[in-house]
Amino acid sequence: MPPAPVSPLITVVFRGTVLFVAWWALTLGESSGLAFGAVVSALVAVVSLRLFPASGFSVRPAGLMLFLGYFLSRSVVAGVDVARRLLSPALPVQPGEITLTLNLPEGSPRWLLANTLSLMPGTLSILLEGNRLTLHCLDIRDRVERDVRETERQVGRVFGLAVDDSAEAAR
Amino acid sequence: MTDPLMFVMQSVLLVLGCLFFAVGTLGLFRFSDTLTRIHALTKVDNLGLGFIVLALLPLAPSLAGGLKTLLIWAAALAASATSAHLIARAVHVRPEPPETGEADHD
Repeated sequence: MPPAPVSPLITVVFRGTVLFVAWWALTLGESSGLAFGAVVSALVAVVSLRLFPASGFSVRPAGLMLFLGYFLSRSVVAGVDVARRLLSPALPVQPGEITLTLNLPEGSPRWLLANTLSLMPGTLSILLEGNRLTLHCLDIRDRVERDVRETERQVGRVFGLAVDDSAEAAR
Repeated sequence: MTDPLMFVMQSVLLVLGCLFFAVGTLGLFRFSDTLTRIHALTKVDNLGLGFIVLALLPLAPSLAGGLKTLLIWAAALAASATSAHLIARAVHVRPEPPETGEADHD
């Protein structure tokens, strides 16, 4: 069930603020460009509402922080894991594909999950069709599904969603 | 900047970052199919760039400069995740022809 839509005004203000902070960083805080940046940020935020309408999912700051911590630590594991396999003379990989049924709702949560999984250890998103996600695994012998479910829980927390395992249990 | 401990830490992080980039590129040669190669390029390079960004952060001239450095990493991550997915999907839709034994040397 998608949550109640967020007011467009809140979405525009939020997106405009993020864009303006990005502008401020890109111009290194140059004061002569701030006014121009503010106007451009506001315009882009309004236009973005037509291209990507407000999804109704709002980002929870606490969930986002926890997710970033999880993401950073797993990124290190992912990089070291592939490097270890590559430097080992036997090249211990056994590539394969698995298809999973996702518990996350459609839209931003699924999109964030698919993109995150491409950077997580041993998985690469190939195809996202409805609630079916096909992954390429570096080593099919690993406990891939357990890792994916954990990532799914972390992504759910960003949007304040409690991820139930109903889809998993229904299979 | 004159702190020797900081200098040593930054040097170690920079070297680590470059080593990971080198290993990621090694993946292009050692792995034999497109999808496995993408694993090497996305994950190892992500970590390599992360180390380099971490090493450069203390050198940032201002808060905005530091944020800009972090934005570079975030943009590279988003680009690598997206392009990895697009290439993987393209390979999935139209599988590549089998390799002609050239990668079987090692």
